[in-house]
Amino acid sequence: MREVYVVGAGITSFTRLEYPLSEIAAYPAMLALKDAGLSKVDHVYVANMGGTRLNHQSGLASAVVDTLSLTPVGAEVIENGPASGASAIKTGFLAVASGLHDVVLVTSAERLREVNNLEATDFVATLSHPLAEYIYGVTLPSLAAMFTRLYMQKYGVTERHLAMVAVKNHDNALLNFFAHLHEKITLEGILDSPEAMTNNPYVAEPLRFFDCCPVSDGGACVILASAEVAKKLKKPLVRLAGVGQATDSHCVHERAEPTDLLAVRGAAAQAFKMAGVAPGDVNVAELHDAFTILEIVQSEEVGFFKKGQGHLALEKGETRIGGKIPINTAGGLKARGHPTGATGVAQAHEIVLQLRGEAGKRQVKDARIGFTCNFGGFGNNVVCLVFKRED
Amino acid sequence: MALEIYAYRCKKCGQLHYPFRMVCKKCGKNEVFEFDTVPLPKNGKLLTFTTVHNLPPDFNVAKLGLGMVELENGLRITGQLKIPHPTFGMAVTGKVEIVREAEYSKNYGMVFYPG
Repeated sequence: MREVYVVGAGITSFTRLEYPLSEIAAYPAMLALKDAGLSKVDHVYVANMGGTRLNHQSGLASAVVDTLSLTPVGAEVIENGPASGASAIKTGFLAVASGLHDVVLVTSAERLREVNNLEATDFVATLSHPLAEYIYGVTLPSLAAMFTRLYMQKYGVTERHLAMVAVKNHDNALLNFFAHLHEKITLEGILDSPEAMTNNPYVAEPLRFFDCCPVSDGGACVILASAEVAKKLKKPLVRLAGVGQATDSHCVHERAEPTDLLAVRGAAAQAFKMAGVAPGDVNVAELHDAFTILEIVQSEEVGFFKKGQGHLALEKGETRIGGKIPINTAGGLKARGHPTGATGVAQAHEIVLQLRGEAGKRQVKDARIGFTCNFGGFGNNVVCLVFKRED
Repeated sequence: MALEIYAYRCKKCGQLHYPFRMVCKKCGKNEVFEFDTVPLPKNGKLLTFTTVHNLPPDFNVAKLGLGMVELENGLRITGQLKIPHPTFGMAVTGKVEIVREAEYSKNYGMVFYPG
């Protein structure tokens, strides 16, 4: 296998975007091409989850490649639920590593806010089992809520811990111009004050409004290239060193231990093994905090902390910028936003900025190894990536 | 006729599955559709639960109880709860009722009441 480098990165603001899905994917691609100093690529992958159903756009990749005037290169859409982004990066990795292509553009787009909040919730709920979950009114927040209740009982996680994740990620997002939520929140406002139930009502008990990610539009792009191409370009060398993916049962109730996220554990272990690093070597990580509980649990499952101790590390501030292992420096899904298909690429974008030392006020000092975890369904399809700064 | 929800028993090794799958998850030797259907038991204990306040458009209610139940034979099922104050491990009993109705469709599923 050939070594694969990230040579360019671009992102849109994550918010409500009033332009077509194909342009949401093309805009960050233009920025990434400019960033890399390239004008031609060999192939285009577009990560997207809901274009066909929400935006009346099928064959999105053909629209994107033509919008960018990159025809006649090949292009396709990669759909893998909320893990589409990292899946597209993995596909791009395979194309470069195998020697099939030298430069691959991996872009992504999602436009969830074209429909209303309830329809978006219903669309995301179609990830669940159609006959054993979806028909009951199961939504992703409700699966996360049932999971949280078990986790609270077993490991002593409290609503305060969940709120601490939200506060941390909102603080990080204040340092990220492209984040969806630029809103300072405090534990008092969302948990302790008499107005907390108004400010922060329950969505699915015990999860509240500020435990759930916003519904966002947005796109992000990275360009992958072979060592030969990467070394000619004048950018700090960031290598995509490890790729891992694992799946778990479709129905959450079928898992032997319902508080385990085995797909996260498996995918992370594969990615670390391939990169030849240990979880303790990671300097900065992007975890998939679609719900605050997931940041805590993933930080344990990928190996940063022991099982059941993620919330203790959070209390000590180890996951803050400046802590032992800063998590979600760009605000995470919680505050940067969660345009489903684009999230995995946005995570990679943040890690690339951090490893290059271009993250501005949220820069993690001397970051050399970065990690992303992109979580599809309720943990039934997970893709993890490890990035290394080389030079 | 009483309404039932079915589990699927592998004809080769006897492993029960819910919901349906096409290859047995235990022996893996099962070819397509070699399963006997067995009605799911109705009694069990509540494993975890939630009340959802933000529901898809098909649900014309302000909030809805959902839970996972471990049934008498060890199988687990996700279902709706009509239980005012659910607690961990409480005994529940299920009934098959309409759980979701849209303009052209009706879905039957398990609804749990205090046991």
